[in-house]
Amino acid sequence: MTNEVVILTHALSKSYGRGEAVRGLNLSVGRNCITAFLGRNGAGKSTTIKMLLGMIRPTAGSGTVLGKRITDAEANRQMRQRVAYVAEDKPLYGYMTVEQTINFARSFYSDWRIDIEKKLLLDFELPANRKVKSLSKGMRTKLALLLAFARHPELLILDEPSEGLDPVGIEYLLRTLVSCSAEGVSVFFSSHQIAEVERVADHICILEKGCLLMDASVDQVRQSYRRIDMVFPAPPPEHEFRILGVETIKTAGRQMSIFASRNAEAVVERAQDLSAVSVEVAPVSLRDVFLETVREN
Amino acid sequence: MLWYKAWLETRSRFLTCLVTLTIFSSVFVHHALHISCLNTLPCSEKISSKFTPEFHRLLFINQQYVVIIWILAVVLLGMGGIVCEKALGTSSLTLALPISRARLMRVRVATGVFQAIALGVVPWVTVFVISSRAGMPISITQVASYVLLLIGGGLVYFAMAILISSLVSGEYTAPALAFGVVLLAAMLFDNWLRRFNVWRLVTGDLSIDRSTFLLSKHLPWLGILASLFFAVLMVLASIRAIQRREF
Amino acid sequence: MSLFSKLAPTTGQPLYLQLMQQIRHAAETGALRDGDQLPSIRTLAEELVVSPNTIAKAYSELEHEGRLELRQGSGAFICVKRRTRSLADQVQASRRRLRELIEQLREDGLLDEEIRRAFEAELVYPGEMVRKR
Repeated sequence: MTNEVVILTHALSKSYGRGEAVRGLNLSVGRNCITAFLGRNGAGKSTTIKMLLGMIRPTAGSGTVLGKRITDAEANRQMRQRVAYVAEDKPLYGYMTVEQTINFARSFYSDWRIDIEKKLLLDFELPANRKVKSLSKGMRTKLALLLAFARHPELLILDEPSEGLDPVGIEYLLRTLVSCSAEGVSVFFSSHQIAEVERVADHICILEKGCLLMDASVDQVRQSYRRIDMVFPAPPPEHEFRILGVETIKTAGRQMSIFASRNAEAVVERAQDLSAVSVEVAPVSLRDVFLETVREN
Repeated sequence: MLWYKAWLETRSRFLTCLVTLTIFSSVFVHHALHISCLNTLPCSEKISSKFTPEFHRLLFINQQYVVIIWILAVVLLGMGGIVCEKALGTSSLTLALPISRARLMRVRVATGVFQAIALGVVPWVTVFVISSRAGMPISITQVASYVLLLIGGGLVYFAMAILISSLVSGEYTAPALAFGVVLLAAMLFDNWLRRFNVWRLVTGDLSIDRSTFLLSKHLPWLGILASLFFAVLMVLASIRAIQRREF
Repeated sequence: MSLFSKLAPTTGQPLYLQLMQQIRHAAETGALRDGDQLPSIRTLAEELVVSPNTIAKAYSELEHEGRLELRQGSGAFICVKRRTRSLADQVQASRRRLRELIEQLREDGLLDEEIRRAFEAELVYPGEMVRKR
């Protein structure tokens, strides 16, 4: 794993009239990693991705993908040669057949992998001569993903890839993502399916209302985030627990529940100093980390 | 394979218009031949030489009809493009390709121009063939002149359609607007801009000899060039509009 | 080869640590012997459906501990040190003790879920779980 960065943005912003879709985004996505871009609907994930690919112009700030400036049309075009992207709505040309679509996509990229194309066609059971407009939604999703996976790009950008897939399809998707990563492809995917992110992501970035709330390694999050449930002999003072790492404090009578992003030991120590009757430290799932982080904001 | 995509997208429109124009011209010239040759085909030498001007007048009328259908056809062919794809939801696929937006536009325009040329040439070649076989030969120069006037003067309508489809989104709004502009242009040229009436240029009205109904050898090159110049300007403006647009 | 079970993403322990434990356990119980080859990073990543970086980190850490040998081009091979062979017996014994302890806790009225949480809390934060009656 080198220290190189495949996506780097500096104060990237996009405003539409009255609202700001993306605000001062400083994103840094590492090479050879699987990075997940988490956020609620409307948080600005798709807008960010479109800015990276030159479909939308940023209002402020700058960015590079694979070292090429995103606002330079020609540099962006050259970069797209080495990037595979599947948009959220899995776009395909309805008037083309499956085979025509694949031939069309293949003609643009020198990194096309025929062996993988054939394997995926078989695995996905896509009928070569059927027009795209008469395919089911699941099949269309699979075809759209095939167009990206049958290549060996430097960077794979997927916007909500599992949408439209059944559980078997999702498992296949995750396995393919992992396989791509093992071959040296950097993966950047946006999702609000926390379960899948938890399993395969090395790194997560949480976006909310256009701002980056978290940018951390998943291992680090797993090791540091804790929920500490305490019971005291008398209602405890909240101000005693406003220490480094404490994100939220909830008190109900003699019970207190603290959500800490780090430094859980200090909280436990403080609880013991205040003669807590019971202290329980539990790990926090990524879903709860996400919900708390977003709620807090 | 951008050409292939452009072909697939315009194929049915193009073929429908081609068939329509060809059938129309065939029927028209057949009828014209019947009138000119006093209902006996093939024309005898005596009759054909007597009624040649009448036949040429009918050919001149044919051009007017062909012009109407041709203009509507090329405006239809000028629809589509990346802005329309946004409405259809496929722009994210096309714009993710390692192709510049200018190149996308150039391929679309070139495909349309080739189709416009075919739409101009094929009906007139049909007319030429039918009338020659029926004993009423027409000079190839005449046919070429009609085709040249049609395409040279008329491509500006295609360019206008391209420009509108690059500015206006909506699968039906763009063609409605484009056809509206054709109508508006016709009224404007007829009432206020008579001197620059591209319609009269394209139909051959400016170069026709009213006694023989033959197109003069001296075609209105200035008019044709001016028309083509505006066509190029509109295409350049379309490219610029597409480059600046957000998807 | 399903020697490894799926890693659990929600237990508060990084996945690479869980994998390391599984490999150590396999070596200690003799399921994997000295010189046995572990699956390639890619194969294991695909099988467990986890990031290859997780596998790579686990292998790398185990190599630091001396339990694995990473040979360039060939793969990862188990190194079972002499002293750890006797550990296999200790592990068997400890399993017996755990079984007894769990039975006892159940008799005390604890639910399996509570027992599991208590274990996890102790493992992750030893000494932090305080229960004063």
